[in-house]
Amino acid sequence: MSGLQSLRLVRVSAVSGRRILAARVISFIAALAVGAVVLAACGFDPLHLGTQILKKSLGSRFGLEDLGLLLTPLILTGLAVTVMMKIGLWNIGADGQFYIGAFAATAIGLFVKGPEPAMLVLCFIAGAAGGALWILVPTLARAYGKVDEIITTLLLNFVALLLVYYVATGPWRDRTTGTVASTGRVPYEMPDFFGSLHWGFVIALIAPVLFGLLLRYTKWGYEIRLTGANPEAAHYAGIPVRRRMIAIMLLSGAIAGLAGMLEVTGTVHRLQGGISNNYGYLGVMVAVLARGSPVGVIAGAALMAIILNAGIILQTQGLTTAAVLALTGLIMMFTAVADQFAHYRLVRALPQAAAATATG
Amino acid sequence: MELITGILTTAVLAGGVLALAALGEVLAERVGVFNLGVEGLMALGGVTGIIAVTLYPNPFFGFAMALLVGLGFGALFALATVVFRANQVLCGLALTMLGSGLAVTIGKGYSGMPAKATFEKIIIPYLSDLPILGRAFFSQNILVYLIYLIIPAVISFMLFRTRHGMNVRAVGENPAAADSAGIPVTLIRFCYVTIGAALGAGAGAYLTLAFVPSWSDGVVAGRGWIAVALVIFAGYRPFGAVFGALLFGVITAIGYVGQARNWPISPTFLSMLPYLGTMLAMILPVFLWRRLRLGFTAPAGLGVPFFRDER
Amino acid sequence: MTDIPALAPFEQPVIALERIGKVFPGVIANADVDFDLRAGEIHALLGENGAGKSTLMNILTGIYRPDSGRILLDGVAQTFNSPVEAIAAGIGMVHQHFKLVRAFTVAENVHLGWKETPRLASAQVLEARTRELSERYGLAVRAEARIDELSAGEQQRVEILRVLARQARVLILDEPTAVLTPSEARTLFKALRAFKAAGNSVIFISHKLDEVLEISDRVTVLRGGRKVVTEATANCTTTKLAQLMVGREMVLGGLREAMKPRDEPGRVVISLEDVSAADDRGRAGLIEASLPVRAGEILGIAGVAGNGQRELSEILTGVRKPTSGRVLIEGVAMEDPSPALFLDIGVGHIPEDRLRSGVAPSLSVSDNAVLRAYTEPPIAQGILFKPGAADTLAREIAADAEVTLPSLRTPIRNLSGGNQQRLVARREMRIARLAIVAAYPSRGLDVGAISTLLRYLIDLRNAGVAVVLISEELSELFDVTDRIAVMFKGRVMGLFETKDADLETVGLLMGGQTKQATAPTVEAA
Repeated sequence: MSGLQSLRLVRVSAVSGRRILAARVISFIAALAVGAVVLAACGFDPLHLGTQILKKSLGSRFGLEDLGLLLTPLILTGLAVTVMMKIGLWNIGADGQFYIGAFAATAIGLFVKGPEPAMLVLCFIAGAAGGALWILVPTLARAYGKVDEIITTLLLNFVALLLVYYVATGPWRDRTTGTVASTGRVPYEMPDFFGSLHWGFVIALIAPVLFGLLLRYTKWGYEIRLTGANPEAAHYAGIPVRRRMIAIMLLSGAIAGLAGMLEVTGTVHRLQGGISNNYGYLGVMVAVLARGSPVGVIAGAALMAIILNAGIILQTQGLTTAAVLALTGLIMMFTAVADQFAHYRLVRALPQAAAATATG
Repeated sequence: MELITGILTTAVLAGGVLALAALGEVLAERVGVFNLGVEGLMALGGVTGIIAVTLYPNPFFGFAMALLVGLGFGALFALATVVFRANQVLCGLALTMLGSGLAVTIGKGYSGMPAKATFEKIIIPYLSDLPILGRAFFSQNILVYLIYLIIPAVISFMLFRTRHGMNVRAVGENPAAADSAGIPVTLIRFCYVTIGAALGAGAGAYLTLAFVPSWSDGVVAGRGWIAVALVIFAGYRPFGAVFGALLFGVITAIGYVGQARNWPISPTFLSMLPYLGTMLAMILPVFLWRRLRLGFTAPAGLGVPFFRDER
Repeated sequence: MTDIPALAPFEQPVIALERIGKVFPGVIANADVDFDLRAGEIHALLGENGAGKSTLMNILTGIYRPDSGRILLDGVAQTFNSPVEAIAAGIGMVHQHFKLVRAFTVAENVHLGWKETPRLASAQVLEARTRELSERYGLAVRAEARIDELSAGEQQRVEILRVLARQARVLILDEPTAVLTPSEARTLFKALRAFKAAGNSVIFISHKLDEVLEISDRVTVLRGGRKVVTEATANCTTTKLAQLMVGREMVLGGLREAMKPRDEPGRVVISLEDVSAADDRGRAGLIEASLPVRAGEILGIAGVAGNGQRELSEILTGVRKPTSGRVLIEGVAMEDPSPALFLDIGVGHIPEDRLRSGVAPSLSVSDNAVLRAYTEPPIAQGILFKPGAADTLAREIAADAEVTLPSLRTPIRNLSGGNQQRLVARREMRIARLAIVAAYPSRGLDVGAISTLLRYLIDLRNAGVAVVLISEELSELFDVTDRIAVMFKGRVMGLFETKDADLETVGLLMGGQTKQATAPTVEAA
């Protein structure tokens, strides 16, 4: 048997993180390349655009602060999706929960009067509660009826968007400045941390770390990990699987809602129709990049923040943020394929391979 | 009477969008692939239709171009999920994002413009004189007849009365068994996912050429997702999907009528009806159809990539 | 000493495999295997799990391509690029795990992928054709029934009908009696003999020595991917075959000697009184079962899988609540059974399908090792979880199980089946102060691993723990149990001291039949 003939593409079931990372880096570059080709075909100069983006986002303090402001919601929505991935479920409704969290915070801001610190705490609670409430129906449907959570969480995105548009153009609309699709200014503001970065940024950085610690060092965290890895085994071990599932889903919604609250009270200071820049969907991409690691969420969010920032910068050049969505979709598909490719390796089939041992 | 006829007519027209997309998704899910990219495909089909008729003002040309675009992106999706066996949920979401984003970017200059060519009504003699039903069902454009009657009939016949259809269903139920029996699993999956995607894009063209008829940034508004939910609700059956689509058409039509007649409910809340209705449709069956469940379960191999042990 | 006559010079074996080799990453599945099959014979293929029997047959039926060697059909070299080609050549295989489409009817399954299926095929047409085939081959099947409504024995008949309908001359059966009651197995053997008498051939893959001796004409033993010997069955004994399979002097039955003798029955630690329970789908799983489980005893539960054993093991470990009846622990009725409660009481559980319910495959060995211990110190501390303490426990369990681990962080699915099972067993043994329930613990393991596991159970028994052993291998039950209960369709059909039980009675009970009572004296007129 000649050497070349005996080369085979073989699928390995257990793959190291390094192989997957390598595959993903290659796929990311490939996706960018495709994007560049498409841009070039539309008459843009991709290299010029690329350098512009890097200069503007990383080259100046303002650029970095802008990145930080984008990082805050992205980390949190990414964390929300990651949290739910721990039990193997998808939260595609992070966008809607984001909107409702923002909605709830705005409601407090516009209609409840009190000292700012206390009110901010109230907004915090309202934002988290709003997000949890918004995911409640899909949660119960999934926990008790096995109804697919992908579609139920997603449908509520549209409802949340409509609701926010309704109040932003109707009962809560800004009557002083008359800004389209925006409420009046919310009086309570997250205090500044550094330049234009507010403390929400710090909260966003801490949250994944906190969740990671929770998973590794608490009994509850162990039970969640077990439930996600094998609900049957968890059941046999006496863990109330359904209760843990519900808790995680509500937590996921709460985190996304919190992201909305921080965006209103920290960055935008109003409830606007388009307050979410597709943060919920980009959060899914962040979770995919993070591969379940809470700290990886920060890295993934950083990447997405750069891309999103690029989109905003590119608006001056005539592109829309929709193009960012498209590019993200391309990257997601390439990443999904890369994850599979990482499982394959070329193997030489030698019958007298010394390392071969019969499996038990 | 006038109200009911009006609602029903609009319902049939509106439901057509969902029906065509759902029929495409039935094909995909019957071979075991969960295509969550329908929303993106509809956007692409919609914008393609509009642009095509601007270039050559014939609605059939626009529809055909949309189908082609759907075939193209469908093939891409099928390549990723069937050939490369990447995670179907991720690829579907990716397709949605890619399709929606791309469509909005390309369609910027066409936003809000009425379509340069739309589908004409075809009046069926005698039947269209029936009270209520006549105007609602038999005085619609040709796509409606295709979507509600011809396409589901063809798919149904193929799936349940032919040898080929049995093979197709086997691929979705138990790809390993089908493979053992010599059925080309990967080929069948690839073809039907691609065809299903084409239908999804066609639904988008129907939206912008027959229903609205124009393109704008958000015109799809989640209909792709409703179509996916519909397939589950309809038990993965072609005529079930069409019937479900009609039901949703009714809900949408009620919303439109409410707006037109200045009902006290804000139009925004009326717009929420289809989504809330879909949620209800997904949750109710669990409690009501416990006993009928058997005929409504998903193909057993749905969502699971097929790895044949290497030869 | 009978010899099977050698083939006449002009006769070719129906099938000849010459020097077949097949390698997978890290494993040599087959190496240099010669095998031949003659017309009109039943040839058994014997070997432990992992010996290469299934791989060899998968090569013969076109599922795999051999890396070396060749296949000869009636003396002519063949390559099968797919299962369809093998079927066209008259070779049909019934796999251990049926390749039937569960949502389809019998008729649809029989016609799947068959070139004689008509292009326009409605359900009625297919069902009529299936009935005709069923009559022709003498295999009773219900053409219109869905597969998931059929028993395992009926499903097997459908598989065989599929193969025969395609005019197979060679029938390959992979562990066919695993899902059959003894009487169903006898029916199968009758059908096989008829098939053979018609001039066809059968390859019978099994690890059950007694069946091999009963049904086959010749037997080939595989070990470690290589052929050990081909021998006329008449020249073999179970001991000899076992030795050939395992490759060393193995004394069967040494287990019985390891069991300490009992003077009197142990005290009842768990008692089921008229317990009924539902299965996962809400149907009756266990029906009015009464069973005493005694300390220091191994109670065997015999029966074909799927007759309520799963629900029984779940009742005994607190995973399932009974719908009626009482569960008593040391005489005290359990009001609210739960896994946590039974863990406290000290009942261990080696579950039926360890990958499904015993371990979390993607989690590390350490995480899996503390599955039963994470609620208590030293692993737990208030609400906290201490990974360091978990690692310590994991190391201890691995040492007990004699499993060498490169790292405690490796996902447990990277370990071999035998290693996983031993880890689970030792983990459960640690908490089994009162009782342990082992469901099919030897499934999928080789003889050495099985022996180790049974020794663990015997050690527990000797230490006074109550052991419940659910098994489908009657030989295993007769080897190591003190008492045997038989389950059929959710009911306990009988409870015997093992020394008083006989194979025939137990076999009948497994199939739901009681021994014919001696005919009542006829009332003479």
